[in-house]
Amino acid sequence: MEKLVYSFPASKSIDHRAHVGVVGSGDLEILVEPSDEKKTVFEIRTGITGFEDTWKKVIERFVSQNDISAFIRINDFGATPGVVSIRLAQAVEVTTNGSNHN
Amino acid sequence: MAQIITESLVESLARERAFQLLDKESAYELLGPFDGLESPHLVAQNIVPQFDDGMIIVKGTLNGQKTVIISIEGSFQGGGIGEVSGAKLAGTLEKVIKECEKGNKIYPIIIYDTGGVRLQEANYGLLSIAEISAAIVALREYVPVIGIIPGKVGSFGGMSLTAGLCSALIMTREGRLGMNGPEVVEQEAGIRELDSKNKQLIWQMIGGSIRNEASLADILVEDDIPNFKNAIQNILSGEVELRHRTKQVDHFLTLYKSLDLSDKLTPNQAIEYLTTETANRNEELQVPNEIVNSTGRKWFDLLTDNQPSLSEIPSVLVADTTISGVNARVIAVVPNPENKYYRARKGEIGLLEGWAIAKYVRQAIEEDSNKTEKRLIIPIVDVPSQAFGYHEELFGIYLACSAAVDAYATARLSGHPIVAALVGNAISGAFLSHGMQANRLIALNDDGVNVHVMSKKSAAIITQRTIEELDEAAKEVPSMAYDIQSFNKLGALYRLLDGVNAKEPNSEDKNVLVHAILDAYNDIKNSTDRDLSCRLKSDIAQSSGRKASIQVREMIDLQWT
Repeated sequence: MEKLVYSFPASKSIDHRAHVGVVGSGDLEILVEPSDEKKTVFEIRTGITGFEDTWKKVIERFVSQNDISAFIRINDFGATPGVVSIRLAQAVEVTTNGSNHN
Repeated sequence: MAQIITESLVESLARERAFQLLDKESAYELLGPFDGLESPHLVAQNIVPQFDDGMIIVKGTLNGQKTVIISIEGSFQGGGIGEVSGAKLAGTLEKVIKECEKGNKIYPIIIYDTGGVRLQEANYGLLSIAEISAAIVALREYVPVIGIIPGKVGSFGGMSLTAGLCSALIMTREGRLGMNGPEVVEQEAGIRELDSKNKQLIWQMIGGSIRNEASLADILVEDDIPNFKNAIQNILSGEVELRHRTKQVDHFLTLYKSLDLSDKLTPNQAIEYLTTETANRNEELQVPNEIVNSTGRKWFDLLTDNQPSLSEIPSVLVADTTISGVNARVIAVVPNPENKYYRARKGEIGLLEGWAIAKYVRQAIEEDSNKTEKRLIIPIVDVPSQAFGYHEELFGIYLACSAAVDAYATARLSGHPIVAALVGNAISGAFLSHGMQANRLIALNDDGVNVHVMSKKSAAIITQRTIEELDEAAKEVPSMAYDIQSFNKLGALYRLLDGVNAKEPNSEDKNVLVHAILDAYNDIKNSTDRDLSCRLKSDIAQSSGRKASIQVREMIDLQWT
């Protein structure tokens, strides 16, 4: 298991917290919580070690497209960069629209 | 026009499943991912955890009736039961018992998608499954406990034993129900016994459709949410008769005694046997010529002063005795090299053994039903495993184990003090069936006494690690170790007895064990608890062994509204 932490400046607050995904084969779990600090902080735990550069690129791309003050925690079980990006987009959608249940 | 849009339960994640079934706007989740109750033991082994540990608890109403759904996430670690996930399931059921006792009926539904014990937490899974089983048996007195096995994973291992305890089971054709997964049977018994790659055969053995035809599952549904809701409604309204399979001791025991295993029986034959009346089959088992003097048998002979066994199954010894004036029934499972169930010749718990335990525990309950002083029951635990075999899976060994669990739990709830004596191996489904439902556990501190959930070889294959890696991990996480000192660190033992010769006991060794059994007996008598809660109250459990289990239960209490 490898732990990666990234922090980027942010300005906009989010309405809802979000939880998407599952720590299953080729997938990941994302938890997004609103933050008072003007930052997007990522805390990533991944079972696939040695892909720090790839993670950095995926996260930088996400931050360049989404300005949210949030604490984002990720549990990864071998998701591809594509799956990571889709799950992040899904999580952002939930922070705007509210819970994905009910 | 025919409805063509279906809402799939099988394809959904565990959380979605629970919300899909409950009435809209009524449902809320307890101990959700934001509470961050993840497994401390996975992190300690460098394995990525999940924020909810793969167990989702959602409370609400279903067709207007108060319901709590506990849904297992099969995609996370194969739905394996660890300390946190196990405590979430057991703790929720325990909470529902308390509500029902107050007259507040809540209907519990368990959605199974699990391979059984999470091997990376091993004995925590075992302890949790014993607690889940205990809670289901207690809860069934108030409300039907409904199990749903939608697939993909199905329900295996110790969790299949809890599925067998449910009041009613709903399955789909994609669900499977069995004790030992096909890969494990192949690993333990060889490819001639079962070829795990023969998927067609495996579906014919343990698939939902077959289990339903063989009358082991109550309702088979097509995968669409309204179908599941209707099935649940039909169970709660009484339209579907509850079969109480684990109590049908005569039917199953007579059947298994009479089977001729000289050729492999086919799945179709199994269905026919399982659904036909067995009243006119009355065969006695042969008395074996060879007696194996196993550790379990030695202790049985010592504790009963060499009394003959009154059991009709040679591999299950039963005798009544008095221990310092206390009436007691002693039960041991021993090897029978002539057992016609050839996968259960070394003292394993198989089809006959599980049902025989059920028979003789239930006999004690019945005989003592009008007495104020219920007989002490002493399971002597020296069991290498459950039986891994083709016929065992085909005919539902999980249910034989459920029946034994049910009998012990029922005896405990009706006031029989049960003290299990771990004198040898106490392993996996065999220990769950014979010993784990005891009020108190006593173990001998001996290198021949081991507690674990799967042979190292099989555990290595399933978790894709080497045996060396497993041994290394066991140093960090005591629940993964096999020795009794490590098991003691989890806080479930009432006593760990030093200085007793486990393998060649003499009368002095006997006195030490008897003394401890009497201590435990008095401790039970002085307590009002009839559940397994003492395993969470010991000093070791509170200070280290079961911290997460305790915390989970406290949080369920806090978040329950």
